[in-house]
Amino acid sequence: MWQVAPAGDRAMLVTLGHTIDPQLLGQVLALDQALHDRRPSGLVSTVPAYASLLCHYDPDVTDAGRLEAGIRELEGQLDASVAFGPVVDVPTRYDGPDLADVALRTKLTPAGVVEAHAGQEYLVYCVGFAPGFTYCGALPDQLAVPRLASPRLRVSAGSIGIAGRQTGIYAVESPGGWNLIGRTALRLFDPAADPPARFKPGDRLRFIPTS
Amino acid sequence: MIEVVEAGRWTTIQDRGRPGLERFGIPSGGAADWFAAAVANRIVGNHADAALLECTASGPTLRFDADTVVAMTGGHAAGAPDWQPVRLARGSILAVGTIAPGLRTYIAVRGGIDVPVVLGSRSFCQRGTFGGGFGRPLAKGDGISIGRMADLEPMSTSWPASHRLPSRGPWEVRVIAGPHQNAFAENALERLGAIACRVTPQIDRMGLRLETPGLRLQPGEILTAPMTEGGIQVTPSGGLIVLHVDHQTTGGYPVIATVISADLPLLAQARPGDTVHFRAVDGHEAARAWRRLSGWLGADH
Repeated sequence: MWQVAPAGDRAMLVTLGHTIDPQLLGQVLALDQALHDRRPSGLVSTVPAYASLLCHYDPDVTDAGRLEAGIRELEGQLDASVAFGPVVDVPTRYDGPDLADVALRTKLTPAGVVEAHAGQEYLVYCVGFAPGFTYCGALPDQLAVPRLASPRLRVSAGSIGIAGRQTGIYAVESPGGWNLIGRTALRLFDPAADPPARFKPGDRLRFIPTS
Repeated sequence: MIEVVEAGRWTTIQDRGRPGLERFGIPSGGAADWFAAAVANRIVGNHADAALLECTASGPTLRFDADTVVAMTGGHAAGAPDWQPVRLARGSILAVGTIAPGLRTYIAVRGGIDVPVVLGSRSFCQRGTFGGGFGRPLAKGDGISIGRMADLEPMSTSWPASHRLPSRGPWEVRVIAGPHQNAFAENALERLGAIACRVTPQIDRMGLRLETPGLRLQPGEILTAPMTEGGIQVTPSGGLIVLHVDHQTTGGYPVIATVISADLPLLAQARPGDTVHFRAVDGHEAARAWRRLSGWLGADH
């Protein structure tokens, strides 16, 4: 059962589940696409992330009740067999300031951390927090480490971090609490590009070690 | 041209923002006090989309090299009369000075501030450090061009005092419950509404940290979810982060309630040490509050 809850007076949040799960993401993206195709009156824009979809609406055109009814019509009707994107290579220098510490915590060598991190494909679950920041999962169990006790005030663009069962790429310089293990020269956010973010939810990627 | 003689504490170029790009991690941004900004543009006869200057705590000193009309609204600036059209002759210097009560003063210049449009807006985006002409707040020595976005005559009188928002705390801020009410005990929002929250010094365009004296809310966990302007996040320590115009587009702290659009301007003017009372309302009251402000601004808004 989807949960539909107001997020203020001009948005509502549809929550489809509570876990990091490719199938749930598939449903979120299918709902996103269906709303894009149907364009319910008053719906302005949507924001997908993991297992939920935020729907911004114009309260001069519709109201929360009518929009919720339009969304509920799609429950159980979606084709969630969404094809995820092709696998994009992310060239990565594994020289992050926290690589040695992650190795200690995971009882691996730094090379072992690199091998585990670069050894699989990831699904992009969300682009958010800051412009272009790309959340990917799921990280192998053996690499799961907590966030830093105190976040860094500045993390440079292109930094690649891990936290919990997730790995992420910082697209612009920002504060950040993830363990930094590498960086990429790939530009993930460019205000002059269309779209401005390199990745979107449902894309797939893998990290390719470079020297 | 306008020459920036002194930049002020944190002066940025803003307009109505760039809504609709949240899926790329880009907040809608725009003027933090959207109402004061709209009034400033209206007073000088600008189109509602014209860009203006948002000044924080202490404003800039500006030299104008052409005759023009400006208007200052929002937080009260020491340096010039506000909420009315001010005619400036070529060569005039406008020294905005200290801002109080309130925190943010808007300066609209007839014609608007002319800087390149980036992703649909002239606003400076703090999280992405782009837009606003310079990709940063104004600095001493900057030159700013004036645009051609005037489409009405400037007003000839002051903006009526009856059509302004409160200028100082304690602030009464109306909220709609959710979206993560399930992450809290049933009476949590009621208890939050019963106390006076205190604004900490940690406030900027991204968000305001508030303390909840005498109340320790205990949030449950949520999976990272999209966030909206006005969302009141509760951190594991029980403190509040009220998300503002340059907010993070997704977050992992549950949102107990969300500030209604009509009351977002109040957050832009709250100062450290001020008290905030949150009052839960329904969608109908939020809509009435919105129509009231829209009515003050006129049909074109």
